[in-house]
Amino acid sequence: MTIPASNAAAIAVPAQRSRARGRLRQSLYIYLPAALLILIIFMCFIYPLIVSVPAPVGGSVLNADLPAGTPGHLLGTDDSGNDLFSRLLYGGRVSLEVGAATQVIGLVLGGLIGMVAGYSRGLLSAVLMRVLDIFIAFPSLVLALAIAEGLGPGELHVIWALSFYSVPAFARLARGATLRLRDQNYMLAASMSGTPRWRIILFHLAPNLLPQQLTFALLGAGVAIIQEGALSFLSLGVPPPGASWGNMIASGMNTLSVRPSLVLLPSLALLITVVALNLLGDGLRARWSAR
Amino acid sequence: MTAAPVTGPASTPVLEVKDLSVRFRPRGRSEVHAVSGLNYSVPAGHTVAIIGESGSGKTASSRAIMGLLPRSAQASGSVLLSGTELLGLSPRALRKHRGRDVAMIFQDPARSLNPTMKIGPQIAEAVRTHTKMSRAEARERAIELFTLVRLSAPAQRYDEYPHQLSGGMRQRVMIAMALSCSPKLLIADEATTALDVTTQAQIMRLLAELQERLGMAILMISHDLGLAASYADEVVVMYAGRTVEHAPVRELFRNVRMPYTSALLGAVPRLDRAAHTPLPVIQGRPPDLSVELAGCPFAPRCPRADERCSEQRPPFAEHKQGHWYACWYPLPDGEQAAAAGAR
Amino acid sequence: MTEPLLQARGLVQEFPVRGQGGVHGGVVQALSGVSLDIVRGETLSVVGETGSGKSTLARCVMQAPPPKSGDVVFQGTSLGPLRGAALRDARRSMQMIFQDPYTSLDPLWSVARIVAEPLVAAGMRDRAKRRQRVGELLEQVGLDVSVHGRRRARELSGGQCQRVAIARALAASPALIIADEAVSSLDVLVQAQVLNLLEGLRTTLGLSYLFIAHDLALVKQVSDRVAVMYLGRLCETGPADEVYAHPRHPYTVELLDAVPRVEQAELGKRPSGDLPAAGEAASPVNPPSGCRFRTRCPRAQSRCAAETPVLAAPSGADPGHLVACHFPVTVDAPTAAASGTVAG
Repeated sequence: MTIPASNAAAIAVPAQRSRARGRLRQSLYIYLPAALLILIIFMCFIYPLIVSVPAPVGGSVLNADLPAGTPGHLLGTDDSGNDLFSRLLYGGRVSLEVGAATQVIGLVLGGLIGMVAGYSRGLLSAVLMRVLDIFIAFPSLVLALAIAEGLGPGELHVIWALSFYSVPAFARLARGATLRLRDQNYMLAASMSGTPRWRIILFHLAPNLLPQQLTFALLGAGVAIIQEGALSFLSLGVPPPGASWGNMIASGMNTLSVRPSLVLLPSLALLITVVALNLLGDGLRARWSAR
Repeated sequence: MTAAPVTGPASTPVLEVKDLSVRFRPRGRSEVHAVSGLNYSVPAGHTVAIIGESGSGKTASSRAIMGLLPRSAQASGSVLLSGTELLGLSPRALRKHRGRDVAMIFQDPARSLNPTMKIGPQIAEAVRTHTKMSRAEARERAIELFTLVRLSAPAQRYDEYPHQLSGGMRQRVMIAMALSCSPKLLIADEATTALDVTTQAQIMRLLAELQERLGMAILMISHDLGLAASYADEVVVMYAGRTVEHAPVRELFRNVRMPYTSALLGAVPRLDRAAHTPLPVIQGRPPDLSVELAGCPFAPRCPRADERCSEQRPPFAEHKQGHWYACWYPLPDGEQAAAAGAR
Repeated sequence: MTEPLLQARGLVQEFPVRGQGGVHGGVVQALSGVSLDIVRGETLSVVGETGSGKSTLARCVMQAPPPKSGDVVFQGTSLGPLRGAALRDARRSMQMIFQDPYTSLDPLWSVARIVAEPLVAAGMRDRAKRRQRVGELLEQVGLDVSVHGRRRARELSGGQCQRVAIARALAASPALIIADEAVSSLDVLVQAQVLNLLEGLRTTLGLSYLFIAHDLALVKQVSDRVAVMYLGRLCETGPADEVYAHPRHPYTVELLDAVPRVEQAELGKRPSGDLPAAGEAASPVNPPSGCRFRTRCPRAQSRCAAETPVLAAPSGADPGHLVACHFPVTVDAPTAAASGTVAG
């Protein structure tokens, strides 16, 4: 009833969408990974606050290499006597913090730059984009390595380093989307209504960009977490004895054949987290573009 | 073409649609009855116009004929093309008919032509799919077709890309492609809606000329009553998936019976009306097709409706020679004309 | 004599064409010196085919983007030199309704918020007052704020979306509404509803309209005056009844001839679309010299290529009826709709 006859692809499709069964399959792709991520976040941040967990560092060498199932050490200990389970949880904190922080910085800063670059015309736009292009031209990991090397190890430095990539990436995405949306009739109508430019950008442009930016952020978080792992693996991230999935893998490499769990467990944790992020990102994208 | 009366022709009509129904099952929703019980036939050399607004089912019915319905759709009934049943044919069998016996032109030629291929080879490809011509012969045929559809500089056009042509010219290319195998039936689905009025007139004239020359039957799907008035022999008016009125063109416009058809006629802006005259309007919108309706689907909006209309569906019958409709309180003879004159 | 509400003078607009492959792009001459006036309370329609420049004209009037040259004076203020807030203020009484009902509304905003936007921009801070005004505006266009207020564009039909767009336009208390093919995407019955709505608003609110359309019958229905455009130039302007009854420009004649008619008298008679080869050679990138219509004109002569015709009143005709043609049609070819008879 609502699709004009001129739309050749539409054949008597009603406009109202029922909220029930039709989206079940799509919802699975959203709710399951979301639940998994919530579980991971809970375990890493909240669980250690409610259940006493051995410290991830400062273990006694006397307790080294205890196998899984040892009372008090659910998954055993590593070669320095630190509890593996606890290191997994605290290492997870690092990964999630890095993932979240880099994407938030990218989303806010990069999104803003991209919107301004897309909405304005002429010199400002061109200059902004060329500067960002320079950053994007570097392979992201190499760039991050160089910066992390320059700044020194540490979680915060990893975040800065990875943001040097995420900001331009978001900016480029936002600019592309802005260019598309800028000439939409409702933007012009808003302008005709007397709405000043900053309000148009903030209240019309940004909300319409957000779905795309959010899915990009979710996928980007996965990438950032892996990159953090790589940086830590290369001793440029969180320095030992601090726990990070990356440096756990690095130190575990030495005893891979003897105690594979030292490598496998953090790797598995990385895998599950990144897959969950990807699935959620894909699921949301499918849901939002189907509208 | 003069408006021939609709009597059963001696030979088999090119297209016969009997009791066609199309149902969709969109995901997670209840079934939509897009088309219910459609009946009409198109004799050779005749033009039948299917008129309806969006949601009337006209597009779904034309897709059903061409076998272009999506998988979630089910068509029942019978569609006979020169006696051959089309519904239920395998895609391969359908492909044999498509292009050769029945061809379709759509509203948006930009979407129907491959933008990365030159137009000449696209026609040649269509030709060679259905005939055993060599490449050179197919090229000849393509240029011949371009001349037939009055495309200027036909030999030059062979090597041009779609974006180099205007909308009207592209539609001519579409017609050329549709005609490449001299189909018996041409389905024009809103084919001129996106064109300028002068181009539309040229295209419609072209189709009429080709029809006369080739004896082709034309099924015209449109929302434009003016177009039907000028070019069709017979008009089928659809509403909510059903036929509500069906008559030869002159009869329909002179003696409209269905209040819906009358409403459509009344709502179309006309050149013979004074400016600022309020148009007669019917409030409301067409019904939701996923709900099985009792009574006449137009009843909620009809100015002449009463309880009987909402409870009992009026039968669709030939109440007058050649003029079919379904209404409990049809308009009397000539009322539309009188009303139009009075404005 | 009161000043016209809108005065457009010598509008010129061009767009660069991005070259394809090796072809170096040219310039689309979308408007080449168009001038028109709109008087308070009247409806002026601009008619033309694709490429005529009529939509570009509407955008130029709104300064979105501003024309390359020429000026627009609206309510006594020249819009050309204005920028930013000054332009916003001067332009506020001019509102536009677009062709596609769905893309003219922000997909994420609720109907109530959309209609309230001009009120917010005008400085109405009191939320309750705004809510009340939104309710009034929606009622004026036949919608109910309690039912439709919370909905988004995708939950509305095309006709309802256009009504919301109209309500939004009205929220700015405009003097002029520009309707750019505003009903072309709507079904016939819905189109009639919206047209009646616009007509009703015209009388109750004293609005003026600039109607951009390609449907000649529609234009006749709503207009006081008509301007016919071809390839960026005006061909003919004048009172609608006069132009339709006595078209003087060959292009207007061709347009009127081509309209398919429902009128009784014409049943069985086809619009004449003569069948020369469809060259359609005229393009806005490289328009013909002199009169741009000459490549399609049956009356064209050498003068038409050399000299660009200027809008002028042909002798003996109504002085408000202007034609830009060296050889205007003088014999009343009976294409006139008013008489209901048919062209030979």
